[in-house]
Amino acid sequence: MTTNKNEKFNAVTQMDEQSCTVFVSGEMDLSVAPDFRLVMEPLVGNAEQDLIVNMKDLKYIDSTGIGILLSILKARHGMNASFAVEEVPSNIQKLFEMTGIAKFFAPQENSH
Amino acid sequence: MKADTQKVILNLPATAEFVDVVRLNLYGIASKMGFSYEDIEDMKVAVSEACNNSVLYAYGQDGGHIDVIFEIGEDTLSIIVEDEGESFETVKEMADQTTLHDKELSDVQIGGLGFYLMQALMDDVRIENVAGQGTRVTMSKSLARSEERV
Repeated sequence: MTTNKNEKFNAVTQMDEQSCTVFVSGEMDLSVAPDFRLVMEPLVGNAEQDLIVNMKDLKYIDSTGIGILLSILKARHGMNASFAVEEVPSNIQKLFEMTGIAKFFAPQENSH
Repeated sequence: MKADTQKVILNLPATAEFVDVVRLNLYGIASKMGFSYEDIEDMKVAVSEACNNSVLYAYGQDGGHIDVIFEIGEDTLSIIVEDEGESFETVKEMADQTTLHDKELSDVQIGGLGFYLMQALMDDVRIENVAGQGTRVTMSKSLARSEERV
């Protein structure tokens, strides 16, 4: 295994019967937007599963990343499927609230 | 105390891969000046959005360069992001963009949040653009003010 640089963007997908969780880490910016889109694309269409992005190790997001989340929200909304984010760091939650995207995410239970 | 400002100037390829280099430099300079973690995070987002605009809109496919100038004052950091590209007509569109707060998901347009974030996260933002000569975004944040605010 090569050592990953701390800030480098990475996305790992975990699935069970009910849900699909994508663990993102590093910096989600313009340069990795195509990578994130590629990871999410095949998952968005599955209405049977809850789709969740875990942001525990996400260091940074820009408007491009927020734009992708927004397009996923729209797609999921259109097919009556949920889309949620969990363990959002405070610096990123602040941006979600400032831009107004926060209210569109499905509420998450705290128990985990 | 020195009254004059000190400058750090970066000249980078206008590609998405170099925007993180701007963030790293910003982090170094802002933490040296004594900005709080939260303020530095705010500035990182704002400056990256300005760079993103240059990368996305200024040079089409040709690739060009962005100048990022950090002006280090006594208690104010000004950051200028400058390109010599076509200059984005989107500036006006962007200025018209609002947040998503009053919108339904079905009415939401993707994009345009970058400009809003710049305005919201810095104390002052100025955008000048001359057709065919490029765009200059000047933004600043001051230490004292950000301390009072919290």
